[in-house]
Amino acid sequence: MNKSAEQVFEKKRERRRQLAKLPFEKKIEIVVKLQRIAAEIHPDKSRRVWPI
Amino acid sequence: MEKALIVIEEMTRVGIIKSYAIGGGIAATYYIEPVLTYDLDVFFIPVKEGLDELAPIYEFARNRGYSEEAEAILIEGFPVQFIPAYNDLVQEAVAEALVTRYHDVQVRILRPEYLTAIALQTGRAKDKERVVRLLESGTLDRDVLSRIVEKYGLTDRLRKLKDSEGNE
Repeated sequence: MNKSAEQVFEKKRERRRQLAKLPFEKKIEIVVKLQRIAAEIHPDKSRRVWPI
Repeated sequence: MEKALIVIEEMTRVGIIKSYAIGGGIAATYYIEPVLTYDLDVFFIPVKEGLDELAPIYEFARNRGYSEEAEAILIEGFPVQFIPAYNDLVQEAVAEALVTRYHDVQVRILRPEYLTAIALQTGRAKDKERVVRLLESGTLDRDVLSRIVEKYGLTDRLRKLKDSEGNE
């Protein structure tokens, strides 16, 4: 693979590893943020944003 | 989410289900980066195996005033999808679940090696993606994973996925 591309992918992997180390409670907060963002882009009543 | 988890724990305590473990996107989120998901997937071992293993859960939920929403039960505002442990792999995964805490509430979560094996067995695109993320995460015990995938005939699937991703 192209060296520059590989560096970008490695940075992404490292970012994921850092996110993976967050406490579970913090990760759930992020899941809910993702749900809110998704609901703003594409409102869907069958996909409920969690009440936390 | 604590209240929903307390209710699920209570189902075990009062004998509605024999055991449970959280799977799916929330279990994956425990080990890898947060992923967008909408349901809390709960794999459970029923007290009695039979035609309608979900019936006692729905009865318990109705008595508590919880409503049904699509395939889920809305428990304290959280859509919880109860899935009977449908084969030997999932039953073993539930039995071997990790016991941890969310805030102050005890919760059982599928271990990453079982989560990986179940995703391999299920084999949808999003499951393959999950396997790749779990392999990258560094949370897997490779010996445990090897034992599980061999036991359940998933070694070839794992090897093909690793080959296609350029992993190890």
